[in-house]
Amino acid sequence: MIDLVTSGALAGLSLDPSTLPQQLVNGLLIGAIYALIALGYTMVYGVLRLINFAHGEVFMLGAYAALFVSYGFGYTADAGDIAGGTWTLLAIMLLVSMISCAIVGAVIEFFAYRPMRNQTRIAALITAIGVSLLIQYGGQLFLPAQPPPSISEKVLPADIRGSYDFNLISPDPQLESDLAAAKTAADAADSELEKMLTDTGQREFDLEPEHPLRAAKFETIGEVRSLSAEIENSSVSVTVPRGQAVMFGTVVLLMTLLWWLVMHTRTGRAMRAASHDFDSASLMGINVNRVVTITFIIGSALAGAGAMMNATFLRTPLTPFFGFMPGVKAFVAAVLGGIGNIPGAVLGGFVMGLAETLVVWAGYGQYKDAVAFVILIVILLFRPGGLLGSSKVEKV
Amino acid sequence: MKFRNTISVLSCAATAALFLGATLGCGDKTTSNGTNGGNGGGNGDAPVAVNRPAPLGEGNSVATGDDVIKIGLIASQNGNLRPWGVDSVDGAMLAVKQINDAGGIDGKQIKLVVGDSNSKPEEGKNAAEKLVSEGVIGLIGEVSSGITAQLADVAKERGVPLVAVGATKPDITTKGSNIFRVCYTDDLQGPVMAVFAFRDLGLTKVAIVTDVKQPYSTGLSETFRTKFEALGGEIVDVQNYETGSTAFNGQIANLKAKNPQGLFLSGYFNEVGPFVYQARDQGIGKEVYVFGGDGWDSAEILNSGGDAILGGYFCNHYNENDDRPEVASFLAAWKAEHGGVPGTTMGALGYDATALMIDAIGRAAELNSASVTEALEATVDFKGVSGDITLLDQNGNPPKRAIVVELTNDGQSFTKAYEASEIIGE
Repeated sequence: MIDLVTSGALAGLSLDPSTLPQQLVNGLLIGAIYALIALGYTMVYGVLRLINFAHGEVFMLGAYAALFVSYGFGYTADAGDIAGGTWTLLAIMLLVSMISCAIVGAVIEFFAYRPMRNQTRIAALITAIGVSLLIQYGGQLFLPAQPPPSISEKVLPADIRGSYDFNLISPDPQLESDLAAAKTAADAADSELEKMLTDTGQREFDLEPEHPLRAAKFETIGEVRSLSAEIENSSVSVTVPRGQAVMFGTVVLLMTLLWWLVMHTRTGRAMRAASHDFDSASLMGINVNRVVTITFIIGSALAGAGAMMNATFLRTPLTPFFGFMPGVKAFVAAVLGGIGNIPGAVLGGFVMGLAETLVVWAGYGQYKDAVAFVILIVILLFRPGGLLGSSKVEKV
Repeated sequence: MKFRNTISVLSCAATAALFLGATLGCGDKTTSNGTNGGNGGGNGDAPVAVNRPAPLGEGNSVATGDDVIKIGLIASQNGNLRPWGVDSVDGAMLAVKQINDAGGIDGKQIKLVVGDSNSKPEEGKNAAEKLVSEGVIGLIGEVSSGITAQLADVAKERGVPLVAVGATKPDITTKGSNIFRVCYTDDLQGPVMAVFAFRDLGLTKVAIVTDVKQPYSTGLSETFRTKFEALGGEIVDVQNYETGSTAFNGQIANLKAKNPQGLFLSGYFNEVGPFVYQARDQGIGKEVYVFGGDGWDSAEILNSGGDAILGGYFCNHYNENDDRPEVASFLAAWKAEHGGVPGTTMGALGYDATALMIDAIGRAAELNSASVTEALEATVDFKGVSGDITLLDQNGNPPKRAIVVELTNDGQSFTKAYEASEIIGE
């Protein structure tokens, strides 16, 4: 029997069933953000048949808007001890992000895409790429790139730090109480060492490892480690960071709002009509320019929400290229679900998120980004209409 | 046929997406270092016999009647590496001022001519060409390995010696026998962190996290792994990501299941900060140490990593709290000249590179580039701020000391210093 794992062909492959539930949850969490951005691509495509490549850049600008709000509230790099943020502050950051993105989206549409609307589609597409590059590289002139700080950790209110833990297979309660005891012992040993160091003015790493206090610290910490390892090995648990849980909840809420808006309002009906047949909709008295503007506003606002949450809860440093990768992945998600199809974008986002984490789960973290392009190629080859898109020939 | 149009637009869009990816991939590499071809990078190793090619040009010389000696410095005075550039210029100016105040060399004053690389390799090259044409006897710079590689080409072609400030890519000095550096190479920091983790932190089971898009990171991970395993430690897991990644949940869940005692993150601060933050968020507790290389050296890591990264250790070139006398006198001189303390390590390295160049000019038999190159090559135990520098028979790579620092709320706190010989001798 050939052992594929060690023979090199699949070196690195590691399929650990105990981490699978966690990975699936991770996939859904990150997929939610992709879905949110993908909605913007798909809505614009649905109405205008235009791939708005600047969407990722709108996303980037939203993250900067959130950053500036946090600065405005005093959470700058050199703010010393500052009280933790509040939910209100987070809500303001979210709203400002969404509003700024909505404005940027509408402005881009008005100045860049509207004049191109009656040109060929490829011209509009190239315009979109141009806008994207303009914002990315133009942004380098005006936006603070690293090393200026990203959104300070302190904007998060205390009650959404830490994580929710769910045990699918619970560890032995005895082990858990042992672990708590071991942690106490380790803390005690550590503070004893610290105390000795402050008293004598010595430095920890100048001491021999055999020094009794250092040895005690090593031993107690080793106990904590081996107990945590035992617990980890004997149980299956899922950890959801609270910030990311809030993020997921917000995404679901926004999607529900979008669904209501598209399906149950006059504006939504106008959007659906324009998407079905742009010219006829215009002949039927629908103000299509208004519909297009609203589509850009909604799509961009969703991207803004995603950007704010991404920058805040995942702690990504901001650069003018911040929106590029999420933008490309969300675009693939939109194509995967069937571009122009709103539930498709959501489905595509989640599938993308899951695909990525499963690749990482299998031990191929370096291909996490590549998988997006593989999916794109496969979907274009075998099901160009996307998972939920119509593959039938549209009437001319 | 509307449908066919849809497909073609999608294909175009897909191509465009790939194209944009390629564009970004090229535009985003300003700080990338590399370790490929690491021969000659053996810090403290018995010097590898690399046949470093002799420079092609004759270089410049100082005419007997001149009363100034011109040396050139290339620094990123603009662009995204500006903080490093500004510090290296300030450091170099300090070294020049000190020698001139002391009467110069043989009655001749040193004149520092600064060229701006604008954080770009090609502009660095142009600036270097210009300085050489203006008659500088030697060149100093740069911080980024990418820019330094260009300077090395100019130096080799024109025959003026080059002393690199902060470029750690091992193969830069193999370009010519007149290329030197004052920093350690990436072949030292990996082993240093391995020794620190195994002996001082008492770790035996460690996981490695690599940014596979950066040769700097892959090389560093490899040197760390080799040393750590040679010491008797075990690498329990290896997880990878790419520059620009923002969510690391998947890698973290894998790591968590392997129960490492420590994580060695060899990438740049851009990703390491969020990685560690998310790891702590997902329940990798404080008893699991995090540590890495000099790619962590930026204030940004404290912002993106937040409280999660505090207590992390990394390898750096020098620290203000180091107890060597050179450090104290350097800091006092810096404070008198520029006020405050250098913002980055490059203040000290810029000072060292310039002081070494001046020292070599003083030792040179004649005031021309070839003699200065010989004097540089003959350097033994030059007392730099960042450690003693010996270049004799080292292929341009001085066996340097490396400093392990801890990230604290106030920045970097000195933890332990290692001499290269100590590490290689382990």
